[in-house]
Amino acid sequence: MSVLSVQDLEVYYKTDRGVAQAVRGASFEVPEGQVVGVVGESGCGKTTLARAIIGVMPKTARIAGGRLMFQGVDLLGLSPREMASRRWRDIAFIPQSAMNSLDPVYRVGTQMAEVLVERGGMDKRAARRRAAELFDMVGLDPGRLRDFPHQYSGGMRQRAAIALALALEPRLVIADEPVTALDVIIQRQVLDTFKELQGRLGLSVILITHDISVVAYASDRVVVMYAGEVIESGATAEVLGRPFHPYTMGLCKAFPELHGGGGTLVPIEGSPPDLIAPPEGCSFADRCPFVEPECRTARPPLVDVASGSLAACRRTSEAEELRVLAGEAGTWLRS
Amino acid sequence: MPVTAEPSAVRGGGRGRFAAVGRAFALVRRDPFATAGVLIYTVFLTIAIFADQLATHDPNQILYRPNGRVASNLPPFAQHILGTTNLGRDIYSQLVYGARSALIVGITAAFAVVMIGTLVGLVAGFFRGFVDMVMMRIADVALGIPFLPFVIVLSSFLEPSMWNVVIGMALVVWPSTSRVIRSQVLSLRERTFVEAARVTGSSPFRILFVHIAPNVLPLSFVYGSIAVGWAILTEASVSFLGFGGGDTVSWGSMLQNAYASQALSRGWYHWFVPPGVCIILVVVAGFFVSRGFEEVLFPRLRD
Amino acid sequence: MQGSSRLVSRLVLTLFVLWTVATILFLIFRLMPGSPLAAFVSPTFTPEQQDSLRRQFGLDRTLFDQYLLFIGNLLQGNLGESFFYKRPVGEVVMTAFANTIALTLGSLIVAYTFGVLMGAMFAWKRGTRVEAVGIPIVLVTRAAPEFWLGMVLLAIFSFGLGWFPGGGANSAGQSFSSEWARIFSLDFLRHLILPATALALYLQGLPLLLMRTNMLEVMQEDFVTMARMKGLSNWAIVIRHAARNALLPVATAFALGIGQSVGGNVVVETVFSWPGLGRMLVDAVAASDYPLAQGAFLLITTVLVTMNFVADLLYSLLDPRIAHAGHR
Repeated sequence: MSVLSVQDLEVYYKTDRGVAQAVRGASFEVPEGQVVGVVGESGCGKTTLARAIIGVMPKTARIAGGRLMFQGVDLLGLSPREMASRRWRDIAFIPQSAMNSLDPVYRVGTQMAEVLVERGGMDKRAARRRAAELFDMVGLDPGRLRDFPHQYSGGMRQRAAIALALALEPRLVIADEPVTALDVIIQRQVLDTFKELQGRLGLSVILITHDISVVAYASDRVVVMYAGEVIESGATAEVLGRPFHPYTMGLCKAFPELHGGGGTLVPIEGSPPDLIAPPEGCSFADRCPFVEPECRTARPPLVDVASGSLAACRRTSEAEELRVLAGEAGTWLRS
Repeated sequence: MPVTAEPSAVRGGGRGRFAAVGRAFALVRRDPFATAGVLIYTVFLTIAIFADQLATHDPNQILYRPNGRVASNLPPFAQHILGTTNLGRDIYSQLVYGARSALIVGITAAFAVVMIGTLVGLVAGFFRGFVDMVMMRIADVALGIPFLPFVIVLSSFLEPSMWNVVIGMALVVWPSTSRVIRSQVLSLRERTFVEAARVTGSSPFRILFVHIAPNVLPLSFVYGSIAVGWAILTEASVSFLGFGGGDTVSWGSMLQNAYASQALSRGWYHWFVPPGVCIILVVVAGFFVSRGFEEVLFPRLRD
Repeated sequence: MQGSSRLVSRLVLTLFVLWTVATILFLIFRLMPGSPLAAFVSPTFTPEQQDSLRRQFGLDRTLFDQYLLFIGNLLQGNLGESFFYKRPVGEVVMTAFANTIALTLGSLIVAYTFGVLMGAMFAWKRGTRVEAVGIPIVLVTRAAPEFWLGMVLLAIFSFGLGWFPGGGANSAGQSFSSEWARIFSLDFLRHLILPATALALYLQGLPLLLMRTNMLEVMQEDFVTMARMKGLSNWAIVIRHAARNALLPVATAFALGIGQSVGGNVVVETVFSWPGLGRMLVDAVAASDYPLAQGAFLLITTVLVTMNFVADLLYSLLDPRIAHAGHR
């Protein structure tokens, strides 16, 4: 049973140069109680996707098509008022930089209480109790509720942001690069707390990150995005262990700690296509070491490749050999 | 005018020390408000330069009617474009000569303020330490001096003259410029091109004036264009209070005369409205020019 | 705590500035050729009067002794006696000060209330015709000399329409039980409206533009986006989060504005014959009433420097990032 089903979502941006197709026909499911990692380079549309789901987007953005089925209701069909009333109660958000996401002029406790009272309908005393409880949950001293955001360390702020997101017991939590701003040790600690809470509360989570090791560590399923498209998705162990799309192979290669520090770190050369005029064929063709002329004629659809995995590549049948080739550093170096 | 040389400077983008100045010109041309500001400045500059040719009468001369009586309080648009004052002086001619004194005061004061402000900012920001501390404390003191009262007190000791405004401004108004320039220099001195100059053994003064100064000039230019307006406003105020230069015709002294001659109660709008409009135009032109640089629209109080 | 040591250093700086300006003033008045004091003392008085005046100002002593006397008197609040009013300067100056403060606060409150609301509105209407027309108008009001605005208002509303009195702070022949009763009388208010409007017209531009810029900046902040994600009402987002943050620098500007207006009102006070501090300074300078001029100038300076300090204080009080520095 899915909490959220993203179906053929299209999100466009108005820019000075023209309309940029930031999300192009993205589809995936968020099963109940699972963590779905959405991974991709910056600019691949993963943040746009997250903001589209919670329905708070820049003025220049427009949802051009698709459906967002949340527990059987299409979120895109809701009035702004209905959507606003669902925010935070049904879908909460953990931002990348909790420093800027907390209002600097109010105490953290006040900002917790604001949500609990105004959106949760609690009275002030209950809100205070609940805030302390939440802080306890995320491993923060409830005494620090009286502090201002700038008095927190980076890790504490991120924990406070998690507490804030859990305040109204939402069905779905979207975490947008929740640990990216932290150093590695703190990253692990915060991630551990988050995972523990997720398991205990049975939360459904969309975990957005560019860091495939975070996905490997914390998510049950993974969605790989490239140039606004979902190019591969499935159970984390399946997708990362047996990638079918060359881009996923490259990503895994670029983060060697996945394999316990094996091979050499090789970045994928080149840059993603211009989303104002996206290519007709496979959008990864220009950077793909295994590209064939046919790849450029039509967009490959997502097809079943393994138990529950989907990939959008013409050569999925040859994945076995390609994976071997992708393991060699030379494959990714341009001639 | 350097208008013809301008496109090459603009195209030369990152080239040499004139790049920043070129960018400044490019900005002015892209912004219609700034263009309007430059146009207004140009018009008033022309008027100031050709005041002798444009004026129809001597602004201080008492005019007489054919019947020998003083040509006082004549209405506008008859023999006199804007009519005459109660003492029979031609208002239009006063206005024209007023532009001259306004611009002389405005431009010299702005120049003085920006020169001092920029120099102090450059030196304080570049050498830091003790020099910086002393200069910034002097700036604090200057900011603690009430400007208009200071000019008034100053005027009472010096000969009454429009230069008092220039002196007063030069002494009191520079800190806001120098603070901004200083913080700019503080960040510039850490940049790689300054580092490069230091490594290649350029002397501190060479680094300061050849490498850093050209980069803060556009900022000085912004402050200058605002200071012109400020100075003209101040000169008008000081003249209005009767501390201006005795015989010099200025927009402020015109307003003072009108006020003292009961022009308000008698409804002689043609006497006291035009000088005010001229002041507004020149000052607003300064805002418009600097608006291209987001200064007036984005006032920063605390830097 | 860091906060309080910062406060102490600002306070020391404030006192230093006050002392320096007082010293500069002393030097100007004693050393400038043609000092009004020298001019005043010489001709018309009897030798005894001259001597007593010389003694009063210590002119019979060395410059340094005079300076010590000057500072000593200042510290005791003794500003000498006005030549013209024949009363202690402190007393004379205080009446004028009350009038000036009434005018300053009246105009600033109107200007800032209007400016903040309009600034927020302009931020909201960014990129619309309202903005395209409104901003140049605001710039024009910033460019207009406030005394000229006053003249136009006087000509129209006082002399033309007869709605308001043509000058002064109270009608002739009125008497009041106390200074407070005078300032809160309807008569005073009627006199106050035109000069306060002239000043407010000039002053509203700064808070308006400041508020507009700050609002535009704050609305881009992540915490405002987060507030929308939290499903908070528009009211809560705009007022509680955006405006509260945007108001910080405006509050500082208000405090600075008080300090600057007390001296800057000179011209408007002259136009409206408003018996305030600035006009008193002008008259004292014109009449060579040296102790009065000095006293008025010092009071104006004190207010300016104090308000600069208060602005600083206010900023650190309102901004928790400074008020609650440290403790991580």
